[in-house]
Amino acid sequence: MTTQTPVSFRPHDLVVADDGTGYLRGSRCPSCGAHYFPTREVCAGCLTEDLETIPLPTRGTLYTYTVVHRSTPAFEVPYVLGYVDLPGPVRVLGQIDAEPDQVTIGMDVQLEIVPWGTDAEGTPLLGYRFAPGGHA
Amino acid sequence: MTDVYVIGIGMTQFGKHPDRTAAGLGAEAVRGAIHDAEIDPRAIRTAYAGHVFQPMVTGQQVLGQVGLAGIPLANVENACSSGATAIRGSFLDILAGEADVSLAFGTEHLTGAFKGAFTPGEDDPEAAVGATMPAVYAMRARRYMEEFDLTREQLARISVKNKRNAALNPLAHFKKDITIDDVLMAKPIAEPFGLLDCSPVSDGAAAVLLASGDWVQRHGDPSRAIRLAASALRTGKVETAPGSMTFEELTRDTADDAYERAGIGPADIDFAEVHDCFTIAEVLRIEGLGLWEQGTYPAAVERGEADIGGRLPVNPSGGLLGKGHPLAATGVAQVVELVKQLRGEAGSRQIEGASVGIAHCRGGKTVGVEGAACTVQILTR
Ligand SMILES: [Zn+2]
Repeated sequence: MTTQTPVSFRPHDLVVADDGTGYLRGSRCPSCGAHYFPTREVCAGCLTEDLETIPLPTRGTLYTYTVVHRSTPAFEVPYVLGYVDLPGPVRVLGQIDAEPDQVTIGMDVQLEIVPWGTDAEGTPLLGYRFAPGGHA
Repeated sequence: MTDVYVIGIGMTQFGKHPDRTAAGLGAEAVRGAIHDAEIDPRAIRTAYAGHVFQPMVTGQQVLGQVGLAGIPLANVENACSSGATAIRGSFLDILAGEADVSLAFGTEHLTGAFKGAFTPGEDDPEAAVGATMPAVYAMRARRYMEEFDLTREQLARISVKNKRNAALNPLAHFKKDITIDDVLMAKPIAEPFGLLDCSPVSDGAAAVLLASGDWVQRHGDPSRAIRLAASALRTGKVETAPGSMTFEELTRDTADDAYERAGIGPADIDFAEVHDCFTIAEVLRIEGLGLWEQGTYPAAVERGEADIGGRLPVNPSGGLLGKGHPLAATGVAQVVELVKQLRGEAGSRQIEGASVGIAHCRGGKTVGVEGAACTVQILTR
């Protein structure tokens, strides 16, 4: 595993390997089993401070979605945005890499690492999306 | 424990005021409340100022303009609940005996402040992947459609109802009736929402003066004083597992605090002003408040039950969708509307025989938390 590849999303929480595959990191509470994304330091369920940082599963199901037509200048519209429930369970927001008419609530999706613009020096960055496919 | 009353209300025109400032709008609303209460302003002992995107110490600027500088004032930021949180500050000062008259106001000047859609905040990890506030509510609407067979037309009817009410409110941002087709054909924002499913960015201010029951008996006009029976505030919980996005536990819990304090239940409520920042939001608020069962409010709107003249009118002022949404002014303006209705001073939008009203605000978003701040206030005649 390496984290040398520049990433756009909270570098600590998005891990990208040299082969271009990657995963999100979350937190797991060893006392009560709660899962969190993004990572955090205190369990909100039992207030334990010894949370483990874990790799989150890369496959899940789409809880809900929208097609965004008006956004900030940082994003090209339209894009599909959705909440994905990953085993844990834990819910993660991400863009959905699919045509709007292919998207349905409950569909299986998997994490993918995608180009995500550049940083201030022009270095290409990586981010994450979810694409249809896979089984949770 | 003393009772707390609203003795004066003031509000500016909501809409676009490109040539004005938050402090100037705030001062106009505060002067309005002082004149409405017919009191010597020197009776005011403490003040709270809600604002979100305004310069620091905007509250002190307002006090300076109205000649009241000197009294204790705190500026309050709780996103869209800022104004309602300011009212809670005044409410608690009176309960604590620190003040017998206290001023709360909210003011916001937003024209020219934003480019593009309103987002949760630059450092929000969800904004980093493309979340906007309309998108977050649109996703809740989409899920509600799936779970409860909500139709696009039913959502549109909420905007039609609130803009119809706004057309009866001289201080509202929107002044025209619209049709369901207008809503369906509006420019898309975040599906299923178009522009008319979203509250506008507005400028405006609103103010209330609160007083203790003793003060009202000795110096006030008990016939115009409206009791503030509860002013509840909660912060959303961090979710330890993915929660429902179609039912608001935060709204329910905050309402339960208010119902308990007021000794009043959902069945006693005659009308409501709720935080309809988007069409679906009115549904989620109303069902969270326990005024309708989960999944049943959209059909009730279709039957006219939430109209002025219906079983339980919702957002008679026009709500955020019709009256406009100058963030921190919103929560105060809701209480202004409750007072007008309960005094019988609401003119052509008067609800006959109303004696108990509820106001609900919810604001802000932070990742992993169901909602940042929520307020529920109950007023009785
Ligand atoms: Zn725990």
